[in-house]
Amino acid sequence: MTNRRSFLSSSLGIAVLGGTMPLAFMRAAAAQSLPALGTSIDPRNVLVVIQMSGGNDGLNTVVPYSDDAYHRVRPVIGVAPNTVLKLDDRIGLNPALASLMELYKEGRVALVQGVGYPNPNRSHFEATQIWETASPDRPTQSGWLGRYLDRTYPANVKPPSMFEAVALGDTLPTALVAQHVDVPAIGSIGGYAYNTIKDAKTSAGALYDGAKPGQSPYLEMIADTARNAYHGGDALRAKIAGYTTKATYPNDTFSNQLKLAAQLIGSNAGTRIVFVSIGSFDTHANQRVQQDRLLKMMGDGLAAFYADLAAHQIDKNVLAMTFSEFGRRVTQNASNGTDHGTAMPLFVIGGAVKCGVYGDHPSLTDLDNGDLKFHTDFRTVYATVLKNWLGHDPADVLAGSYQTLPLV
Amino acid sequence: MRDIKLDTSTDPQVGFRPPGSLDGEPLAPFAGRFSTRSAAHLLRRAGFGGTAGEVTRTASLGMEAAVDSLLHASGDDLAFPDYPPSDVLYNVNGGIARSGTQTWWLDRMLRTKRPLVEKMTLFWHGHFATSIDKVPAALMAEQIDLFRAQGMGNFRTLLASVSVDPAMSVWLDNHYNTKAHPNENYAREVMELFALGLGNYTEDDVKNAARAFTGWTYNNKTQQVTFNPKLHDDGVKTFLGRTGAFGLQDVIAIIVSQPVHQRFIARALLEYFVYSDPEPELIEGVARTYALGGYDIAKTMGTILRSNVFYSTRAYRAIPKSPIEFTIGLLRYAGTAQIPPNLGYALRRMGQEPLAPPSVKGWDGGPAWINTNTLLARFNYVNALAAQAPPRADAPNIQPDAIVAQAGFDAPRVVEAIVGAALQDDVTRDVRETIVGYLTQSDAVGSVPFGPENYQQKIRGAVALTLNLPVNQLN
Repeated sequence: MTNRRSFLSSSLGIAVLGGTMPLAFMRAAAAQSLPALGTSIDPRNVLVVIQMSGGNDGLNTVVPYSDDAYHRVRPVIGVAPNTVLKLDDRIGLNPALASLMELYKEGRVALVQGVGYPNPNRSHFEATQIWETASPDRPTQSGWLGRYLDRTYPANVKPPSMFEAVALGDTLPTALVAQHVDVPAIGSIGGYAYNTIKDAKTSAGALYDGAKPGQSPYLEMIADTARNAYHGGDALRAKIAGYTTKATYPNDTFSNQLKLAAQLIGSNAGTRIVFVSIGSFDTHANQRVQQDRLLKMMGDGLAAFYADLAAHQIDKNVLAMTFSEFGRRVTQNASNGTDHGTAMPLFVIGGAVKCGVYGDHPSLTDLDNGDLKFHTDFRTVYATVLKNWLGHDPADVLAGSYQTLPLV
Repeated sequence: MRDIKLDTSTDPQVGFRPPGSLDGEPLAPFAGRFSTRSAAHLLRRAGFGGTAGEVTRTASLGMEAAVDSLLHASGDDLAFPDYPPSDVLYNVNGGIARSGTQTWWLDRMLRTKRPLVEKMTLFWHGHFATSIDKVPAALMAEQIDLFRAQGMGNFRTLLASVSVDPAMSVWLDNHYNTKAHPNENYAREVMELFALGLGNYTEDDVKNAARAFTGWTYNNKTQQVTFNPKLHDDGVKTFLGRTGAFGLQDVIAIIVSQPVHQRFIARALLEYFVYSDPEPELIEGVARTYALGGYDIAKTMGTILRSNVFYSTRAYRAIPKSPIEFTIGLLRYAGTAQIPPNLGYALRRMGQEPLAPPSVKGWDGGPAWINTNTLLARFNYVNALAAQAPPRADAPNIQPDAIVAQAGFDAPRVVEAIVGAALQDDVTRDVRETIVGYLTQSDAVGSVPFGPENYQQKIRGAVALTLNLPVNQLN
């Protein structure tokens, strides 16, 4: 935990934003601990987790544009200083993130730099498991959000809504694998449906609704889940029917998912956790084309999402955070791409965020085998959203105890 | 056995079957009547289920001969390739290599005449869980071949083979394990997940086993594991209370001689093939069979598959089907000739993409198979299969003409035929009545009684309703 500058209060940060000074402000330290649990946590708070799958190159996302070392290691794929969206006199965003920069200027973005964990793993699969289970040392089946759900709703307590937590996609991500809580994975509104031979649907419902327990120990659990599966699609469509989307979303899978997320959140479907994914950021060759396209897709989608939420006056209750399984190597490779690396920045976005930059950019000269050194453990960020946003004791979900960041 | 009563006194979801709760001699050979229900149960557990005709044939063999035919499949199997085609295996498109290798294996599960061999192969794949997410397809195929060749043999030999298997070496980094830089990953999993279980060894045991495993290096070019004595730590180690200049074979010999190991394997087999939370006496009994049989898996499986407890009400329909068991069972039941191209993806949605377990712990299985997403994926897979399956003369179980030929246009008889063939009639009367109602009644959304004009669609509907009953999720 070196290289931290002192923390400027959020009020000062906002004052700076409103004034004429450049956007050089608020390097935050992690040391502050926020108020005790249970105080001022709004029960309507929603967490949206955005997976940037494939390993996003942090150096071309948050660019240390004034550092000569950056231009030496990125002679071809480096982002030109005059195109960078400057955050201060040293770092700035990739120009593809113009929409995210707008959110930043509105005070809705916290940038956390140098995030990682000890002994980083460079396998997509294993590193993703590490981030999603929050368990770098031992393989664990349950996800960090799954454990949050299990602790919140123990074996005999059902969540108030079947859409309490939702994965937007065809399969359940490890992050949401829980033991007791049944999390639906919804690829699309139309695709989440019991598709039977048309005139057999009513009878299927009768069979599930009338299923009697007791023939076999597991039958009751299966019948109960079958009822959720059978009725879930219709329930989803009924829930969101009254919601009017009040923003223009780009037409791509990621934005369609955020649009559905806003429908769920805004229509009182009871949704508190949403997981969406965008990718692939695995840019081994010709990185700029692919990464810039995806960053733009992500920024534009998020801008539409928050415009939609703001129009419904719920943007202050929705916090989005990004993650990726790893950053990439500092030096570009021979194919004008980058290979698997380590530490990276992540974004926390929302109307309630204390806007600013948290932690220094990792050094480009003090490297670990050619890779960036992390200074903020990713579980610090998880602990922050668990404690300060969801009002849940992080130690209940994460093995060990972690500091929190004052970003929300 | 029509009046079978299913035991609900011990709920595996809640837990534990207490000592002393088993009556009689649970592992003595089953002496009751080997009915079609018993035969269907055996085929589901020791294979992937079968058609109604296969169930009848198996029942007619009697229990001993039926189990023998699974354990010692004497007839020649169909000719299956040892590897997927090389243009699949080494395709630059990883997705093609992945799905092609999955289909290569799934096809064998579907068509093999030696279903227990393939079921054991699947069991060991879950036990020594290795993933194509990290390991090249060619090495995965080779590992599956290893499980098939040795999975019914001696566990000591199997564990030794797995320890120098290229896929495992890459998966758990044993190829980085050298005298100078010991890597404990593989040694730890051998003890925790493969052979002993947590709490039955110390951290020092892990360190010393890792030292004994050093020197087995994987060559990326030849894709082979060979022993390099220069990288092997030949010093003295203390492992599980024994001391010597142990190597890989010594450590494995010490592991299998541990009573905790014997109980570990006994429990794993019982949970997979009989029921969850087996009673301590039952674990003890199977562990004894396993140890006395010299760690022979086929002998141990023979005892299990012939036993009273295997055919007891406690074991009947007591295990949630895995997605692979569910889909392969379905395709076998329907008489499908080849693996549908989307099966790997469907299995992913159901939570068990073959060759891609979520971690080295494998799939949790049991009730963890069942959630809204996975169940919806199963339901819709059945609905699509029933709606689209081409009418095939050799698929009488779901073929409307064959069912009408058998039962006429008499709805109760049609339902009896379908429910009897698909579920050995393991349904309550009101379930049967609901399906009869579907065939005979009109409703507001356009359902009309079935007859010569619409029986094709109506019978497919009735088949789908039957195959999607909660009880069909249970093995």
